[in-house]
Amino acid sequence: MHLAHLRLRDFRNYARLDVDFAPGFHLLLGDNAQGKTNILEAVYLMATLRSFRGVGSAQMIRQGAKGYFVGGKVVGQGEAEIKMYWSVAERNLSLNGRTVKKLAEYLGTLRTVVFCTEDLQLIKGTGRVRRRFLDLLLSQTQPGYLGLLQRYAHTLRSRNALLKQRSLDEVALEGFSRELVAVGTEITRQRREIVPRISPLARLAYRRISNDAEELRIEYLPSVKKDFAVELAQSRARERSQRMTVVGPHRDELQLELNVRSAAQFGSEGQKRSVAIALKMAQAEYLTGLHGSAPLLLIDDVMGELDVKRRSGFLPLLEQVHRSRGQVFMTCTEENWPRELGLELHRWRVHAGALKA
Amino acid sequence: MPLPSSIAALTAALSKLPGIGPRSAERIALHLVQSESGAVSQLADAIVAARVKVHLCTTCGALTEISPCEICASPRRDASLVCVVERPVDILSVDKGGTFHGKFHVLGGKISPLDGVEPEDLRIAELEARLQAEPIQELIIALGTDVEGDATSYYLAKRLARAGLKITRIAHGLPAGTGLEFADELTLSRALEGRRELS
Repeated sequence: MHLAHLRLRDFRNYARLDVDFAPGFHLLLGDNAQGKTNILEAVYLMATLRSFRGVGSAQMIRQGAKGYFVGGKVVGQGEAEIKMYWSVAERNLSLNGRTVKKLAEYLGTLRTVVFCTEDLQLIKGTGRVRRRFLDLLLSQTQPGYLGLLQRYAHTLRSRNALLKQRSLDEVALEGFSRELVAVGTEITRQRREIVPRISPLARLAYRRISNDAEELRIEYLPSVKKDFAVELAQSRARERSQRMTVVGPHRDELQLELNVRSAAQFGSEGQKRSVAIALKMAQAEYLTGLHGSAPLLLIDDVMGELDVKRRSGFLPLLEQVHRSRGQVFMTCTEENWPRELGLELHRWRVHAGALKA
Repeated sequence: MPLPSSIAALTAALSKLPGIGPRSAERIALHLVQSESGAVSQLADAIVAARVKVHLCTTCGALTEISPCEICASPRRDASLVCVVERPVDILSVDKGGTFHGKFHVLGGKISPLDGVEPEDLRIAELEARLQAEPIQELIIALGTDVEGDATSYYLAKRLARAGLKITRIAHGLPAGTGLEFADELTLSRALEGRRELS
């Protein structure tokens, strides 16, 4: 799979951009604040409908403009034409000229894995960040998972609203509890299945990129241990005093350990960074194994932060993408681009919202 | 030049209607003020007359001009069978199918904590009164399959349960006349759950 064409209008610092990309390795070179990361952000946005910088759509509109347009042509097994427009008053997403009505039918058109400094939150951040990592992986690979997740979130919000009411209607609560249990149990099951599949990939990736002999272990700690219905019933007293649902997949945790010690608590900065990259590499390899073709890799500046040994651990993944006619986009400043990459490189110079080959 | 204030007021009123945005509202308003005044009076009269005459059937909650409504009053309808729907228009959908010959009961919504709709806001007490007064043997719950529809169906089944009353829910699964390839995963898994033995 590769992105053959990218079109931007009023997106971040790009007033207009039309550019063709071949499969292979693209290096986006330029000084800071010229718009290198914005390219990655636009590609990621087409894949996931979110910014990896964790900002809302309003912030991606070019200053002074009404709305942004991001479009692209994805060449995989077939060709897909993506067009998205966003303004405060109007938003539209179309695939091959037809408006997308169901997200589940759209996601998967373009698959990407991003490596960026925000990835450190996977280790340092709250459980929400790690749950989102699992959810993104599952919604990219399991048909129907996204629908489950949306239904769960809706049921959870409804149920919490009921718990906050002054007089609690037990039967109404029971109606939403049943729904929560049915959907939540399925979410827990899918998360439980995927973690052992990515865990060995992450362990190997960590071994390749880290200098030390520590073993990375990923373990899924579900909030529901055995039977959601039973545990939900047992939590009634706590639920009542806290006025919200206290057990369920929204309280799951993904535990990251180096030699049986919590990476967040005991890892050094360098180790945390390596764990974050290992997780992302595992995600990329898992997607590659499942779909037979590599996802687009979007690498934002992280290579510059790594020493040569760690970089060389990265190379097999990049070469694999290269072999399968995939695509890598990588941002670098002139001083720190990894010259040891012996691959055929497409070099782009990014300057003030324009791209030059 | 700004539009005369009466046109602006008309536009504002029209844009509150469902499915009519500011553009269409303005177009309709401009059309009306330039139409023959007789036709406009007729339209206004029709709107007022419809609003005055139509109300909810005191028994089932359907839109009607007479109460009880035609369906409730009909001796040819099976009084032992009542189909519970969310909105008055759902009656039309079920009736159009042509296979249901019982009566109806409109709830007027679904339990929806996020929108502040509680059981007391629905016409459930009216339904309980009907269970007392009418020879109802089966309630068929025909609500949607979203979270609120499912939760409300469960609520009704619990609250209305009594001896001698059968409570059922309409089946959900594949649309008639389509292949499996057009069904999404959630629909298919529900269809599998609700499978039936072939006799």
